Amino acid sequence: MRTPPFNLHLPTTVSEAVQISAELRAEGRETDWIAGGTDLLPNYKWHLNTKSDVISLARIEGITSVSMTEIGAMARLSEIADGGEAHPLIAAAARKVASSLIRNSATLGGNICLDTRCFWFNQGEDWRSSIDWCLKCDCGTGADCRVIVNQNELCVATYQADLAPNLMVLGAAIHLAGPEGERSLPICEFFKLDGMTRNVLREGEMVVKVTLPDEVGQWQGEYQKLRLRESWDFPEAGVAAAWRLGGDGTLAELKVATTALESIPRLHDQEVAPIIAAGWSGEESITALAKAIQQTVKPVNNTAFPPNYRKKMTRVMCERALAQLSIN
Amino acid sequence: MAADEHVSMIPAASKVGWSAEVNGRGFGDEIESGAILLDVLRDQVGTLGVKRGCDMGTCGCCTVIIDGVARLSCLTLAGEAEGCEITTVEGLATGHHLAPIQEMFSECGGSQCGFCTPGFLLTSAALLAKNDSPSDSEVKSAIDGNLCRCTGYQQIVESIQAAAEILRSDAKSKDGTAAQMDPHPGLGAGDAGE
Ligand SMILES: Cc1cc2nc3c(=O)[nH]c(=O)nc-3n(C[C@H](O)[C@H](O)[C@H](O)COP(=O)(O)OP(=O)(O)OC[C@H]3O[C@@H](n4cnc5c(N)ncnc54)[C@H](O)[C@@H]3O)c2cc1C
Ligand code: SF4
Ligand code: FES
Ligand code: FES
Repeated sequence: MRTPPFNLHLPTTVSEAVQISAELRAEGRETDWIAGGTDLLPNYKWHLNTKSDVISLARIEGITSVSMTEIGAMARLSEIADGGEAHPLIAAAARKVASSLIRNSATLGGNICLDTRCFWFNQGEDWRSSIDWCLKCDCGTGADCRVIVNQNELCVATYQADLAPNLMVLGAAIHLAGPEGERSLPICEFFKLDGMTRNVLREGEMVVKVTLPDEVGQWQGEYQKLRLRESWDFPEAGVAAAWRLGGDGTLAELKVATTALESIPRLHDQEVAPIIAAGWSGEESITALAKAIQQTVKPVNNTAFPPNYRKKMTRVMCERALAQLSIN
Repeated sequence: MAADEHVSMIPAASKVGWSAEVNGRGFGDEIESGAILLDVLRDQVGTLGVKRGCDMGTCGCCTVIIDGVARLSCLTLAGEAEGCEITTVEGLATGHHLAPIQEMFSECGGSQCGFCTPGFLLTSAALLAKNDSPSDSEVKSAIDGNLCRCTGYQQIVESIQAAAEILRSDAKSKDGTAAQMDPHPGLGAGDAGE
C-alpha cells in the first residue's frame, strides 16, 4: 500500500524545523515530524491519520550524540545499542527493539514518541472500513472504540515502545523545543493519557534530547521484555528495574517501570515505596513487589497476547528483573 | 462513506529534483517529494533486484546499503537518501565476478526461491565489510530482520561464514579469471574461465 502524497521538508536546524512547522500550520496545513520513519511510514502506508506535510529531522545537526548522561533525539538505536557510550541498561533495552535493520534507522525520539498500537487500528484501510473504523482514526464517522465500547471518548491503544520505562527508572529528563521556546521535564511527566493524546507535546513541538542525572553510572538495572518472536516483535509487556547499592552493598534505592501494558508507560514508585519502607528482605520483598505491580497494571485486549497472560508475565518478569537483588 | 474522505490529502505531491550514486553510477531525476526510496529504486532507477516483500519493515527483502549502512528501503524516504551512495544487489558483482557473498550463497544453498536473497546478500555484505570474522551469533543477530521461508536459515549462516573465509584469505574471489564487464559470462567469446 502506498502512502498518500505528502510534501517532505528537510530542515537543518531545530529552530528551522520549528519555524517550518509553525508557518505550515499558519497556512492551515497539518504536519508530522519524521525521524527514522520506522513507525510513521507503516502508519502512513495504512493511511492512518496522514498529514499533508511531513518534516524530517534527519538533516538536523547536533542532535545525534550518545553519552552516559545525554542522548540526542536523532541518535540511531543501533548506535545506542552497540556504540558503547550509552548507559548499559539503555543499551541493552535498545538492543531488544525491533531488528538490527530497523535499529539502523530507528531513533531515540521516535521510540519515545511511538504512536500507540491496537489490533483494530494498525490495519489496512479496507480492513478498518470493514469494521466501520474506530475512534482513533474514525474517518469522520464518529466511530466508537472497539475495545471499550459504548463510551466514544477514550482510546486505550497500547504504548509498545521499549526505551521509555528504562529512561524512567534512571531518572531521565526530556528536553523539548517548540514555537513557544524550549522546556524540560522529567520523562515520567511526558506521557499523557489517552491513546490518542499520548504525550504533552504541543502543536509544533519536538523532542530535542534526553538527559540523565550525573550519578547515573552508580545505577544498575535490568529490562525484561515479553514478545511473540524474539527477532523483532513489539513488547507485549516490559519491565524495567534500576537500583543503586549503598556503600555496604545493601539496596539504597530502587525504581521499577512497565511498558506495553497501558496507553502510557508507568513508573511504579507507589508500589515500591511500602515494600522498601518495610525493610528489603531479598526474595520475599521481590515476590511481594512483583505481585503488587501485577495487580496495578491494566492491559486490555488489543495486542497479540491476551491481557491475563501479559499480566501474569508482568509478575514473572518483575521477579526476573529483580533476581540480582534476591540476597540481602 | 467513501474511504478517501478522511485522508488529509494534497491534490498531488510536489515534485523535487533528486540525485544519488546508485551502484557507483550517478542517477538524477524528478521524484515526488514524499517518495519512498524503494519505489524510486524500482520504478525510476530500475534496480529491480530491490524486492518489495511486506512494504512494512518486517521482512528485509528491500534492504539496500546506504553510505555503508544496511537499511530498509521500504521505510526510508528517498529525500533523506539524496546525495548518498546506494548499493543494491546489482552493485555487488564486479563484471562477471560474483562477490564472495553471492558465490557462497549459490554454493552453500543459501538461496532457494531467491526472493529474500537480495536482502540477505546486502545485509551480509554490510556485516562483512565491518567484521570479516563474525561469530555465528553475530551473523544471526545481523540477519534477524531478514525473513526466509525456504532455507531454514542454517545454509544462510553457512554461506555468510564461507564468504567471510574468502574475505579473510587473499583470494577475494574463487574465480581465477580476470573480471570483465560481461553481463552474460559463458555466452561470449570464451571468457568463462578454465
Ligand atoms: C517490524 C517492526 C518491529 C518493531 N519492533 C519494535 C520493538 O520491538 N520495540 C519498539 O519499541 N519499537 C518497535 N518498532 C517501532 C519503531 O521501529 C521504533 O519504536 C523506533 O524507535 C521508532 O523510531 P523512528 O525514529 O523510526 O520513529 P518515526 O517513525 O520517525 O516516528 C515515530 C513517531 O514519533 C514522532 N517523532 C519522531 N521523532 C520525534 C521528535 N524528535 N519529536 C517529536 N516527535 C517525534 C513521529 O512524528 C511519529 O509520530 C518496530 C517497528 C517495526 C516496523
Ligand atoms: S483502543 Fe479503541 S479507539 Fe484506540 S485504536 Fe483501539 S479500537 Fe481504536
Ligand atoms: S519490503 Fe521492506 S522490510 Fe519487507
Ligand atoms: S530463498 Fe525463498 S524466501 Fe529465502
